[in-house]
Amino acid sequence: MEDKAISHFFKQDGAHTLAFYLNQNGYEQAKKALKELTPEDLLNQVKAANLRGRGGAGFPAGVKWGFVPQGGDKPKYLCVNADEGEPGTFKDRYIMTYAPHRLLEGIIISCFCVGINTAYIYIRGEYENVAQRLETAIDEARAQGFLGKNILDSGFDLEVYVHRGAGAYICGEETALLESLEGKRGNPRLKPPFPASIGLFQCPTVINNVETIANIPLILHHGPEWFCNQGLPKDGGTRLFGVSGPVKKPGVYELPVGASLKDLIFTHAGGMQDGKTLKAVIPGGMSAPILKPDEIDITLDGDSLMEAKSMLGSGAVIVIDEDASMLEVLRIVAEFYSHESCGQCTPCRVGNPWIRKTVKRMAEGKGRRGDIENIRRVANNILGKTLCPLGDAAALPILALTEKFKEELETSLSD
Amino acid sequence: MVKIYINDREIEVKEGTTVFHAALDAGIPIPHFCYHPAFAPEGTCRMCLVEVEGMPKLELACSLQIREGMKIFTQNERVREARRGVLEFLLAEHPLDCPICDQAGDCKLQDYYEEYGLFDSRFSEVKDKRGKKIRLGKYLLHDQERCVLCRRCVRFLREVTGTGEMGVFERGGHTKVDTYEEGQQVDNNYSGNLAQLCPVGAITDTDFRFQTRSWFLEAGESICPLCSRGCRITIQAHRGFARFKLPKRVYRIKAVDDPLVNGPWICDKGRYGYSYLDENRATRILKKGESSPDWQEAIDWLSASILRLKHRNRLERVSVVLSSRLSNEELFLAKKLFKDDLGVGRVFFADAPPEEGDDMLLTPDRVPNTRGARELGWEDVPVDMEALNRETDLLLMFGPDFENAHSLSDILGCFEQIETTVLLTPFDGSLSSQVDLLLPTTPVAEKAGSLTNIDGVLRNFQPALPALGHSRAEWSLLIDLGKALDLRFQYYSRLSSPEAVFQEMTGEIPFFEKNVE
Repeated sequence: MEDKAISHFFKQDGAHTLAFYLNQNGYEQAKKALKELTPEDLLNQVKAANLRGRGGAGFPAGVKWGFVPQGGDKPKYLCVNADEGEPGTFKDRYIMTYAPHRLLEGIIISCFCVGINTAYIYIRGEYENVAQRLETAIDEARAQGFLGKNILDSGFDLEVYVHRGAGAYICGEETALLESLEGKRGNPRLKPPFPASIGLFQCPTVINNVETIANIPLILHHGPEWFCNQGLPKDGGTRLFGVSGPVKKPGVYELPVGASLKDLIFTHAGGMQDGKTLKAVIPGGMSAPILKPDEIDITLDGDSLMEAKSMLGSGAVIVIDEDASMLEVLRIVAEFYSHESCGQCTPCRVGNPWIRKTVKRMAEGKGRRGDIENIRRVANNILGKTLCPLGDAAALPILALTEKFKEELETSLSD
Repeated sequence: MVKIYINDREIEVKEGTTVFHAALDAGIPIPHFCYHPAFAPEGTCRMCLVEVEGMPKLELACSLQIREGMKIFTQNERVREARRGVLEFLLAEHPLDCPICDQAGDCKLQDYYEEYGLFDSRFSEVKDKRGKKIRLGKYLLHDQERCVLCRRCVRFLREVTGTGEMGVFERGGHTKVDTYEEGQQVDNNYSGNLAQLCPVGAITDTDFRFQTRSWFLEAGESICPLCSRGCRITIQAHRGFARFKLPKRVYRIKAVDDPLVNGPWICDKGRYGYSYLDENRATRILKKGESSPDWQEAIDWLSASILRLKHRNRLERVSVVLSSRLSNEELFLAKKLFKDDLGVGRVFFADAPPEEGDDMLLTPDRVPNTRGARELGWEDVPVDMEALNRETDLLLMFGPDFENAHSLSDILGCFEQIETTVLLTPFDGSLSSQVDLLLPTTPVAEKAGSLTNIDGVLRNFQPALPALGHSRAEWSLLIDLGKALDLRFQYYSRLSSPEAVFQEMTGEIPFFEKNVE
């Protein structure tokens, strides 16, 4: 079977080894890029593929690369965001576990395209085994001449380093990731300047999600048109959806951008366990506003989810059944963002613990009339007013939960 | 220049400036906590949010660069609502202990609440406990509950002193500013700037703790005379109450930004060393140890003593001890009077001995005007005790530093050989009752004039405090003495103010002409 999907090697024995990958025509695209193509050709192909970032924000990758100023005497860096901290998300772990060489090949091509000689993979600390696998893959690739000095006799040099995070959600935010990588406290930076001009160690930097980079060899292999045609006109390719919750077959599913959310849950993931009824779906990681069952007849792409006032985010689909208490869901959401706020800017630092305290009190049976309105008011004072996206990531799901499940939440209040 | 609109008002501003400064220049101050012109914008307090036409979210005034045609709204309802939201957050976990907070009256949180807030507390959860009354340094106390996490203190210690005693710890709602080690002290000569930088009452001065309320204080600008940097300061003094006498006038000193001299900072010596303004002051004229309120009589007596020597052709037996505490104008008048008009025998300088300086502001000189004295042509001649013993009939001493340079018995030994001893000083010392005439004078804080700092920067100053007791500024005494001597009456009559003296100086000494402030 031809390699036409990111998930092609998932769960295959030995898929992570160089021998396996070479047997599947691995690193052929890197060879092609380095020997036959110019960086401009590559950039045009990535732009034409309409590859959008897979980390959550969905920014077009080619456009991002294009922002990096060419020339200049400063080195440039690639940071691969493997922090994968968004609750519900586990797709990048699959890529790094089963296809580390695909990621490395993507890194080589991307770096050659942008003129980068040093790449960092910032991986969440908990992924210790995965980090090990990446280190092994890097060693293998270097031994084979795919990394290091003068790669494949092309004159191009590239070193790739794996850096393990220390467990903070905020370090998945690209500028906090840079701070953390520099050895500082992981606080997001004020933008502008954007990392493309002033990033890691004050140098031009590209930051992309693992899945984004892993798509690059496929784009080169089959052409941007093929890639584009798999998805939607302005949002090419497939996406890895990590389905969790009480479905019959939770796991990672690769579907074209624009596939049906309902199909994902009821066909691919096998529908609800034990004949339970679907109560709600969080469609793109915990930050994505929750959808009720009557809202899930929707296509999985950025635009249609935005229309539904939610977001595709990291493609992590969290399924919730009738047994779940929405107050408990709200408590988990509020606890998480309160715990993970970096504490730098006022609305997020104070607003999230405020909401957490109120929800905790409600969960202890001491909720009062007006609590929900107050939570919404506080969330609205966070929304759009913080330095980094974490504020919105906290406020949006809380606003959606308190709006869509207001009646259920109100049953926990006394007078 | 770029044309922008703030609240529909057309404004021309310099390219490359930020919305914050463009608005400030247009007389529209934008509320802020974390922003301070000495540091790069951090954008974390979220208080300076403004609306910019065409931008979906509110933008940070502190960091947003202006662009041609930009339309900015700093006061509309959406902006005010956002600021109210930030204030509510900052007050949610705040102890609201304004009645016992030294920052009350100077507190930005208080001020902005008056301006934007005025809401009832809607925070009905239990407030988190944080560190209180933490000793942060010799002069500082830290209250983590009042902190708004602007990080100005952290940035100051990292970027200005480079000592880095403080950092940010924990995260989310537990975030706090603290020293790296428990009990660690901010132990540098600039620690007091932390209290001035703090926009709220999180870092306060220990010397000011519970002493008075800031609204009773009147501030007057002056120049710190404690070294030759000549930092621009504001002296905050209490006028006192009608029926309740206070032990002192001055309660604190703060830095005033002077980019060419001290920037926004001053050292702890200058900030906390203000007790000299109220303690051990010479406030009365003493003639042979007897108090006398009559300045004219005192000047006439001094003038007559000098003239007696003049008529006996013994002016070479007049010795003058000057001080680099004197202003440019006073040192100029002293030159006119003692050198040009009288041609006295000897002029010495007695200054506090130099001490160690640092690589920021503090200079080794412990007097403010050594450079001014040099520029005026005075040489730093130390007092020759032999000359006082054998060749002096009249000794005129300025300033308090002579008595510390020699042993009291040596000085009194000299006095026995001298017919007339006169001391002009702001401070009561061991010589006060030993001289024939003591004339109480004013420190820099109580007079007008100019000083030349170590780098040759000339700065004018006005009285920040009224003269204490009967004390008078040396410049006015020198002019009166010049008139009383009647050698060049017209000349000294014309010099009726420090400004007039300065005019005269600029015509005569090129240094002062090119340094007119």
